[in-house]
Amino acid sequence: MILIIGGAYQGKLEYAKAAFSLKDSDIFTCTGKEVDLSRKCVYALEEFCFACVQAGEEPADFFRKHRQEIQNSILICQDIFCGVVPMGADVREWRQATGRLCQYLASEADQVIRIFCGLEQKLK
Amino acid sequence: MTFFISGGAKNGKSTLAQNLAVSLAKGKTHYYVATMIPVDDEDRLRIQRHIEDREGLGFTTLECGRNILSCLEHAEPKATFLLDSVTALLMNELFREDQGYQMDLEAARRCGEDLETFAKTVGNAVFVSDYIASDAGRYDETTEQYRKILADIDRRLARACDTVVEVSAGQYIIHKGALPL
Repeated sequence: MILIIGGAYQGKLEYAKAAFSLKDSDIFTCTGKEVDLSRKCVYALEEFCFACVQAGEEPADFFRKHRQEIQNSILICQDIFCGVVPMGADVREWRQATGRLCQYLASEADQVIRIFCGLEQKLK
Repeated sequence: MTFFISGGAKNGKSTLAQNLAVSLAKGKTHYYVATMIPVDDEDRLRIQRHIEDREGLGFTTLECGRNILSCLEHAEPKATFLLDSVTALLMNELFREDQGYQMDLEAARRCGEDLETFAKTVGNAVFVSDYIASDAGRYDETTEQYRKILADIDRRLARACDTVVEVSAGQYIIHKGALPL
């Protein structure tokens, strides 16, 4: 499994498409709690996390449960971790839960790649 | 040679950029392109601090808050230019007082193009930007658009420049190229 992280609009998906020859049909973009793990690439995990938190669920639990199915996945999550502590309790919980998920995925991943201004930085 | 420097606030980006520009100029003309258009005393104080920081480094200051290519009309184009910062320049282009601070997306698009042309035209260039893309904000549409436009320009400059450096606590993370220091 490969985990790609990076700030907003840094070019994470564009990088993944080019580096791993992904077609649009290989990519699932999260907009809520549903995730299609049959796709090679799952994008916008932070949106999956946001929906989980709103439903009172722990996003990392879902990926622990489906550990076998993500062994060959490319997972992309936005780095939302460096600002001041957010004012809203729900945004705070979102940030925390997304962080816990990224740590879990990073520990499982074969590679962790950070994207900065469109450039890759190999973290693992 | 062209350099793109980004990172968080007050981490040493400007210091690195100044040292780089002086070193690249090799005793020849080096310009400091001042992009901030001050609106209050806080801005004027910041500018004053930056001027004091640069004292004795031999920079010629070019004031240019908009239309970045226009500053080349009053300069030796093959000299060394330090542009601090991309962020301030974009803010000036995007939001104009005389347009009621309505977002000018066309100006922002041109600003990105001009910066790339600038990088390809001058002898040496050092660009300083601000990395603001890793917080957990769920912003209004205008702020989100600003973040996207700034990131697009940053990526464009990172692609165009020989060297890309992220500065953190005065330390350098080199994402591309090398630092000749």
